[in-house]
Amino acid sequence: MLRMVVGIKWVPNTTSVNIDPKTGTLIREGIPSVVNPHDLEAVEMALRLKDEYGGKVTVITMSPPSAIAGLEHVLGMGADEAILVSDRAFAGADTLATSYVLAKVIERLDYDLIIFGQETIDSSTAHVGAQVASWLDLPYIYYVTHAELRDGKLVVRRSLESANETYELDLPALISVAMHSLNPRRVKISNKLRVKFENPIRTWSNQVLGLDPDCIGLRGSPTALSKIEMVPKVPRKNEIFKGDAKEAAKWLLERLKEEGLVEVG
Amino acid sequence: MVCREWPEIRLDEYEGVWVAAFADDEGEEIEESSLQLIGAARELADKLGTYVGVALIGSGVRKLAEEPIYYGADRVYVVDDERLSVYYPTVWGRVLYELASKYKPEVFLIPATLRGRELAPYVANSFRTGITADLTSMDVDEKGNVVLIRPPFGGFMLAHIVTRDRRPVMGSVRPNIFPTPERDESRRGEIHEERIDIPSPKGIRLLGREPILRKEEIPIEKADVIVAGGKGIGSREGFELLRRLADLLGGVVAGSRKAVDAGWIGHDKQVGQTGKAVKPNLYIAVAISGAAQHVFGIREAKRVVAINIDPDAPIFEHADYGIVGDYREVIPALIELLESMGIGRGE
Repeated sequence: MLRMVVGIKWVPNTTSVNIDPKTGTLIREGIPSVVNPHDLEAVEMALRLKDEYGGKVTVITMSPPSAIAGLEHVLGMGADEAILVSDRAFAGADTLATSYVLAKVIERLDYDLIIFGQETIDSSTAHVGAQVASWLDLPYIYYVTHAELRDGKLVVRRSLESANETYELDLPALISVAMHSLNPRRVKISNKLRVKFENPIRTWSNQVLGLDPDCIGLRGSPTALSKIEMVPKVPRKNEIFKGDAKEAAKWLLERLKEEGLVEVG
Repeated sequence: MVCREWPEIRLDEYEGVWVAAFADDEGEEIEESSLQLIGAARELADKLGTYVGVALIGSGVRKLAEEPIYYGADRVYVVDDERLSVYYPTVWGRVLYELASKYKPEVFLIPATLRGRELAPYVANSFRTGITADLTSMDVDEKGNVVLIRPPFGGFMLAHIVTRDRRPVMGSVRPNIFPTPERDESRRGEIHEERIDIPSPKGIRLLGREPILRKEEIPIEKADVIVAGGKGIGSREGFELLRRLADLLGGVVAGSRKAVDAGWIGHDKQVGQTGKAVKPNLYIAVAISGAAQHVFGIREAKRVVAINIDPDAPIFEHADYGIVGDYREVIPALIELLESMGIGRGE
């Protein structure tokens, strides 16, 4: 029986983000949000552990209420319950203030294991897991590809640039799941129906949590955006060839030879 | 009012630009990503009129303590302790925190290797300060604030980030964002051998560690020639074609995020903002549409070639030479021509 808490983020689907060519600003309208795909891998790992050992999976997210759609998705995958942590007072948080709120939420839950995705697709900081571990003073390890219980301890495997490692963690502990390591399961209709009838989503505002307004949201965030600028484009030659593939190959290799980028043996 | 969870600090006590440096697995050299960061710290420290400090921690690292000085550091703080022969994020994070707490640097930078990315937010949180991930440049504004600059969204907007009321200003930097400085053995600096109480690892034990036997393959960030494939490649088999071209050119194969997501190529070969920044002489982007986050990773490429069936693909705007066509025809034509020219033969 493993009590697990999974943190997920509701993010704009960055692959479809574009710039307004006239104003040079981000077009945010109409961009669909999704559950950060790497967080679905964290949910998948929790569900596999639950399948193997039994237990309970609680998913939490700090977000505006639109994230309910995302919570419904992971409940549809098989998570047991979800908490939407939502309050205007949490808005504008950097990773320190975000991790503080999440840690305070998790403190109120009974848990053995906290699982995060490796990073998000919108900001890719990979900060929040380690920060939550720091607030809660827990052992933690990132980039986990496999986890199992042995004698009440969690044994995890992970890969770094030049080594594979196996660690044993006493519970409670925190892990993040290596991105691209697991295939998240699909939503099941039976789970969706359960969500409909049981409504296992709770919303916790700061009225519930009662956190110091100086520690949360914009005010609790030491880092602040001072300016945004466009990335200057690297000047390139922009010579284009259209036509027969053989001719194209000849055209290209001539240019590369001229520049010494291809050496004739 | 300031958050009561944050210990009180005096901002004017914090001075210097610090870098955490790590030794490689053999303990024989300082990792290149650390050296690159020392170079970047040198530039920032000169702007601020302060010193560059390097926190060098590990087991058996004392013998490497001169190296950071040769690459631009003024002071090296060494914690050489057998209890650091095994890496645990909480232990190493604690040691970096204790060391930096003693000297109070204004800026503390950590290389964003996989370990660095795991450690850095823990160290920052121990200070109850903020941290900027994957910064790509640094500056000092007119008020004298350190500004860390990072691509926040899709790769085409740079966010300038300042740290209010807290110190150190912390950031992590991916490998190859900054060049490796020239090694200069005539440089002089101070070496401080530090004694830090090394905490014992709490609730975590390393059970095993095996080096990954990588094939004799150049990592993409060090390759001179890269042939990269995107979503339009369509299959793992398609990448075999790219590999044949890369072999002929003495290069390596890489991929866009979509190709990695599709499972056609490993994440260690992903080029772009969420993958790696590369700096080859020749980058051939095949069936890659050219999303800003991808283009961000090839800014340092000397020449970019794009091969794409869609004449409107954004990648052509970022290419020196573009071929509009089906890669299934263009690449075999290139391979045939290269072979007829005698390239790649006999190697």
